Amino acid sequence: MALLETHDLSKAFGALTAVNAVSLRVEAGTLHSIIGPNGAGKTTLFNLLTGTFPPSAGRIVFDGSDITGTPAHRIAHLGLARSFQRTNVFPAFSLLDNVWLAAFACSKSWRGLLWRRADRYPEATAQARAALADVGLGEKADQPAREISHGEQRQLELAIALAAAPRVLLLDEPAAGLSPEETRRMVALVRALKGRYTIVLIEHKMDIIMNVSDRISVMHFGSLIAEGTPEEIQRNAEVRRAYLGGVAA
Amino acid sequence: MRALVLILAAVVLLPFIVRPAIASEIWIFAIFGLGLNLLLGYTGLLSFGQSTFFGSAAYVAGYLLKHYAIGVFAALGIGVAVGAISALLVGYLCVQRSGLYFIMLTFALNQLFYFIAYQWTTVTGGEDGMPGVPRPAMLGIDFRDPVAYYIFVSVLFLLSLWLMKRIVDSPLGKILQGIRENEVRAEAVGYHVPRFKLLAFVIGGAFSGLAGVLYAMLFGIVPLEAIGFVTSGNVVFATLIGGSGSLYGPIIGSFVFIWLSESMSVVWARWPLLLGVAFIVVVLFFRGGVVEAWDRIWRFSKRTT
Ligand SMILES: Nc1ncnc2c1ncn2[C@@H]1O[C@H](COP(=O)(O)OP(=O)(O)O)[C@@H](O)[C@H]1O
Ligand SMILES: [Mg+2]
Repeated sequence: MALLETHDLSKAFGALTAVNAVSLRVEAGTLHSIIGPNGAGKTTLFNLLTGTFPPSAGRIVFDGSDITGTPAHRIAHLGLARSFQRTNVFPAFSLLDNVWLAAFACSKSWRGLLWRRADRYPEATAQARAALADVGLGEKADQPAREISHGEQRQLELAIALAAAPRVLLLDEPAAGLSPEETRRMVALVRALKGRYTIVLIEHKMDIIMNVSDRISVMHFGSLIAEGTPEEIQRNAEVRRAYLGGVAA
Repeated sequence: MRALVLILAAVVLLPFIVRPAIASEIWIFAIFGLGLNLLLGYTGLLSFGQSTFFGSAAYVAGYLLKHYAIGVFAALGIGVAVGAISALLVGYLCVQRSGLYFIMLTFALNQLFYFIAYQWTTVTGGEDGMPGVPRPAMLGIDFRDPVAYYIFVSVLFLLSLWLMKRIVDSPLGKILQGIRENEVRAEAVGYHVPRFKLLAFVIGGAFSGLAGVLYAMLFGIVPLEAIGFVTSGNVVFATLIGGSGSLYGPIIGSFVFIWLSESMSVVWARWPLLLGVAFIVVVLFFRGGVVEAWDRIWRFSKRTT
């Protein structure tokens, strides 16, 4: 069953159609990658899915209900959590507070919002600590986010998404800016999350995702030009051309 | 804990150092600053129109005290409500904007309220202010006695501080700081940012309203400037000097500001220059205000001994 679908989803910025009639089906429990050269419209697609702005046309269906036009702050509560391509954390906060804020947002009840001490929410705190541990940052819980390395900030980025205990994880180039060694660790991390969540993974480097993906969609100039298993994508001539073109440009 | 002991000591000692009226003014202005700092320090919103809430509450509660002889507690309740409601109106219009537009809008709306007060002379007395605000006795305590009123103000100040501490330590406090740190991420993890900013406005407005009523009763008059931009500027000024990064910053700021203005204005008409200098020193060297300066000196002295 498809957990997340888009139907002819489009977004135009003036004359530029950044996302062009994209119809995507993400099956529950799978890791579905979206690849494409820089500027293909991948991040814009995530922005549409998470309500950053409404689509120019088309629909988004999550778990059978139409969520097109749902504002950004409601999306996490529906069970969709995203990480950002450009690290987007709370710099002055400790790592724990970074993830705690995400865990609390999606907790069952906001009772005591104005008067109970924030550290008296054992469930949210436990969930936040678990998310940090999941990405290997458990030891650094009390450090401020602005003092950790870029690689660790990428892990934190992922932990914030995890802390919401989402049904679908939308990961936008989690390995952006990482060294080859750090990239391998990040891929291992994502692989470990596979099966626990339905994951949509954006990446522009093809080699990274070939081994972890169940399915791959290829985006080029706003449109989906191919979809299939990693083997099918690897053999696809049009994909090769788009990629070689993308690299040459 | 140390901060609490210091504040309690200050509350007890202050009336022996300065006149009770000045001492009362310091704590009243501190309540006003606590409310502003929820916006400025915690949420990262520079509201340049806090006197809208302070002044509105002072006028409404002052008017009712004067003409309808309401009790002290009713006056406080009405002041808090007027502060909160006016902040709800202003906040509703402002929270959708950001940056300079936000600041200008809080300022412009403040001017609007000011001109209403200026024109509506039958109620507010316009430029002459609204004199004759009484301080009714309560439970047999005569608040016309400056010391009795000082104790009353001090208790309300401590209560306000305790309440504000609860708020900033609560999830709401974390969420507001999260909005200050990164609005986009706060929205993405599931917080309706404008709604939370509005809540910060309303709470800040309630504190401003409480301060406004206490101020009107302290001086027995609501001067027009209570709702003017100078008052809005003063509270921002005092909070920045004290340190907007800390719960206690506005309290220290109020102390410095009121004490300077009271002691210097009699000796030197150009005393605001001193404030200007203090402000420049803060901006250039101690972004965290007196609180940070103190912190640094403290750590430095520990290292050298
Ligand atoms: N908010 C925006 N306003 C205008 N143009 C945008 C905006 N966001 C993205 N674009 C444009 O849309 C295109 C696709 O961008 P993006 O989705 O970031 O690509 P990708 O993530 O695949 O690299 C680019 O040409 C980009 O400049
Ligand atoms: Mg992108």
